[in-house]
Amino acid sequence: MSCGNPVSEEDSLMLRRTKYDKTRICGKCRTNVGNVVIRHAVYCKECFLPNITTKFKRILEPTINVNGTRKKGFKPTGNLCVGFTGGLGSTVLLDLISDCYYSTPTNEDVLKGGKDHPRNAGVWKKATVCYVEICNALPGTRDRTEEVRDVVEQYKHFDFLPLRIENAFDDMWWEKVGGQRSELSLKVDIGNEELVMIPQPIESRDPVAALLAYISALPTQTAVPSAIQNLVRLLLLRTAWSTDSSHLLLGTCLTSLSVSLISSISQGGGFVVREEAQEEWQPTVSSGSRRAIKVVRPLRDIGMKECAIWAWWRGLKVVGKESFLGGKQGIGALTKNFIVGLERDYPSTVSTIARTCGKLAPKDNSEAICLLCERPAQPGVQDWKARISIRSFADPGLASPPPHATNVVSNKTDDLSGPSLTPYLCYPCHTTLTSRSSRGSTASALVNSTPLPVWVAPQLDGKGIVEEWGSRKMERSDMKQSISEFLLPDEDS
Amino acid sequence: MSDSSESASVSLKIEFSGGLELLFSNQRSHKLKIPAQVPKTYGDAASDSDNKPADITFLIHYLRDNLLKERVELFMENGTVRPGILVLVNDTDWELEGEGDYVLKDGDEVVFISTLHGG
Amino acid sequence: MSPRTCALCATNKAMLKRPKTGQQICRDCFFYVFETEVHNTITQSSLFKPGDRVAIGASGGKDSTVLAYVMKTLNERYQYGLDLFLLSIDEGITGYRDDSLETVKRNQQQYSMPLKILSYDELYGWTMDAIVAQVGKKNNCTFCGVFRRQALDRGATVLGVDHIVTGHNADDIAETVLMNIMRGDIARLGRCTAICTQGEDTIKRSKPFKYAYEKEIVMYAYFKKLDYFSTECIYSPDAYRGHARVFLKDLEAARPSAIIDIIHSGEAFEVREEVKATQKVQQTCKRCGYMSSNDLCKACTLLEGLERGMANSGITDRARKKLDAEGPAPENIRTIPFYNPPSSTLVIAVEATNDGKPSTS
Repeated sequence: MSCGNPVSEEDSLMLRRTKYDKTRICGKCRTNVGNVVIRHAVYCKECFLPNITTKFKRILEPTINVNGTRKKGFKPTGNLCVGFTGGLGSTVLLDLISDCYYSTPTNEDVLKGGKDHPRNAGVWKKATVCYVEICNALPGTRDRTEEVRDVVEQYKHFDFLPLRIENAFDDMWWEKVGGQRSELSLKVDIGNEELVMIPQPIESRDPVAALLAYISALPTQTAVPSAIQNLVRLLLLRTAWSTDSSHLLLGTCLTSLSVSLISSISQGGGFVVREEAQEEWQPTVSSGSRRAIKVVRPLRDIGMKECAIWAWWRGLKVVGKESFLGGKQGIGALTKNFIVGLERDYPSTVSTIARTCGKLAPKDNSEAICLLCERPAQPGVQDWKARISIRSFADPGLASPPPHATNVVSNKTDDLSGPSLTPYLCYPCHTTLTSRSSRGSTASALVNSTPLPVWVAPQLDGKGIVEEWGSRKMERSDMKQSISEFLLPDEDS
Repeated sequence: MSDSSESASVSLKIEFSGGLELLFSNQRSHKLKIPAQVPKTYGDAASDSDNKPADITFLIHYLRDNLLKERVELFMENGTVRPGILVLVNDTDWELEGEGDYVLKDGDEVVFISTLHGG
Repeated sequence: MSPRTCALCATNKAMLKRPKTGQQICRDCFFYVFETEVHNTITQSSLFKPGDRVAIGASGGKDSTVLAYVMKTLNERYQYGLDLFLLSIDEGITGYRDDSLETVKRNQQQYSMPLKILSYDELYGWTMDAIVAQVGKKNNCTFCGVFRRQALDRGATVLGVDHIVTGHNADDIAETVLMNIMRGDIARLGRCTAICTQGEDTIKRSKPFKYAYEKEIVMYAYFKKLDYFSTECIYSPDAYRGHARVFLKDLEAARPSAIIDIIHSGEAFEVREEVKATQKVQQTCKRCGYMSSNDLCKACTLLEGLERGMANSGITDRARKKLDAEGPAPENIRTIPFYNPPSSTLVIAVEATNDGKPSTS
């Protein structure tokens, strides 16, 4: 590769350089001819494989015990839950977990380490592999549950737990995972920034229909992958909770971590940049003990290329993830294209992104938790939005409307037809539900109210919402709005 | 040039993995023969003067035109494989072998692995 | 389709779809919200106080041309009580800056604002043309960026102003957030979304267009019939930034709020305390007196490299070591005149916060 300047410091100007340092000999054993180049370093096959195992353990093992040390072996406080997508990362993750912590002891191993040696007994008593099938959110995509089952059931130590994305709207599932029943049922009007909540009669609903109503009410195509990703995340967290797990492991590799960091930042998620890499989660409303689940991404130092080569050399079958239909418009998909392209020409980029984001912390502390994603929510974001993007002349932060605007009616309804969901959401979730494209939207004008995932309403209990509704007479227009999608056009006139 | 060198060919074993096989009739393993000498610029008519030995760049184009069944944009971009596709030649990263300039030998095994695992 | 009324005033016919919100609004409302958002940005951060002398960094391009117009408008409408100046830097790029400097001179007439033009040639003894002739088109942006920053501060000192405002818009800032993450430039990442940073000692620098979309700035210039020059530099910018720019445009196309969302992210996080502690303390350059995190400031390092024919010494550590190995700088090289800041009460320049600043209103 020709290069105008003999410049080599990569951080200063991100120059392209040859794909590997001077020699083809493995940089680790300095004996064998190398087989693979990982960020300029050459490895032979014999050194590559244990190197991956080391990187995996280096991230995971300090998180297993409560105090971080492992002097007396591993003693996690609960079970293990693994989020499996069928993609490359989680396929490699399952293989590594099985290999490192659940491999069948041979006679020799038993002699070596004894029965209690971590290699010979599962580190976690019970290991559940949870897969969330998303095909019902994306019409036209295929159900991969059985293919995934075949892969997972090869590992006899793992219990396979298939979920479906519509479980997020399924009261039966919610009850099964120990969720609190709410005293209220609600829909939300997605037609404006306030996200007004509309009370619903408490009755059983069809989860798939509710899911599709939610997806189709989203303001842009871009919001669909983000919304799906959030539903999957909460389904996994709840499953980890209900299986008494202390750890939820995800197959996010270094490349995917960089993608999710940039993608999250691009959606206004700067406040939760830490949580994107590692977080501890517990339900905001729960009965019983307060225990937190550690969400760990043990592959976060291992690049996508390393994962692919591991899978190839270990002969792993990768089922593949659904590439979102129309997902080219998704922030995540755009980011992935961008990062994967950069990674080829500037192989250090992905680790720089992850390292840089690791040095960041949120500016303010916040006690508030977003109802939709159950992550910390920064206060005051609505004022911020109103100030820098004026959407109405009735905003309190603004002075008088311009002289020509003689006709201004308060289009920010002072007496909202119900309480607003907006104050309970974080910036990214509010943006997903409200940010419009200048190029048209998916939501039809008729459907502007949507049901919400099962975990939202219980968190509103005790926040005075019910009282507010209780004291107010239901207006005819409210009633009509809440049933609008069931009315035929001529009944309307 | 003698007749024998003109008609000489290279036998290869090609493997697709990581979902790429879906673009190639859902068949992971392929055996094929390509000419040993190919035009310097892909698609040009064969001529004696402007030939080069068949390399991986040629192979990529050849696969696109002869084996690929759908969605070329998931396989190729800017005259090479799309970012996110790994190439191994005889179990060794092509980045160690000169990437597209690697000259193919009879009996070589070339593996294309997608890391993107799209549908 | 029937004509729509403006989503804001509900009076006039909607004339445009606002890039930032997607709302269909009329021209008067567009002017009003654009200007008011800039005004909100200024008052929210208490950028100015009455009597401040403020220089507008003017390149003759769209951003600074619109900035000069809007600053003048808001100064009159809201009685900021500011003395406004135009400050232009002539990098010495033949065929690129000549025309745009004409625009600046015309603005001087139209807005009756005093104008100061300062050239790289008079300050450093090098034009960008001469620098490119030595270093090539790669890395030349590093020189230009470092030199411009210092030139603006020095020009501001000549004008005796307290404050420089620049035309950096929301797209620029979002792009910089992404670039700093991708380059691992943690120090810059921490301050790039700050509306106001302390420049050399008492000269503040701020970006009133921090939340203004590039598309809306163009739209504003178009409807106000402001003329400006395209200021795409003929020495192409680095390819890496180009990738980030294309990515940002793709994001914006998918979701117009992405630009603002990225800035919001940049404002929501900060560098962790443990990491901050390891960052270098600011000092002043031993050779020219400008603020620096090393003995020599970046501009002096780059200039010394140019003068000694080893231009890369200011860019990489390896080249710097090679330069140092050749001994100390010769006596006869050209250096930057020693900088005497307007007030030398502060020796350590730190990043400005908005605490304790007098309010504008």
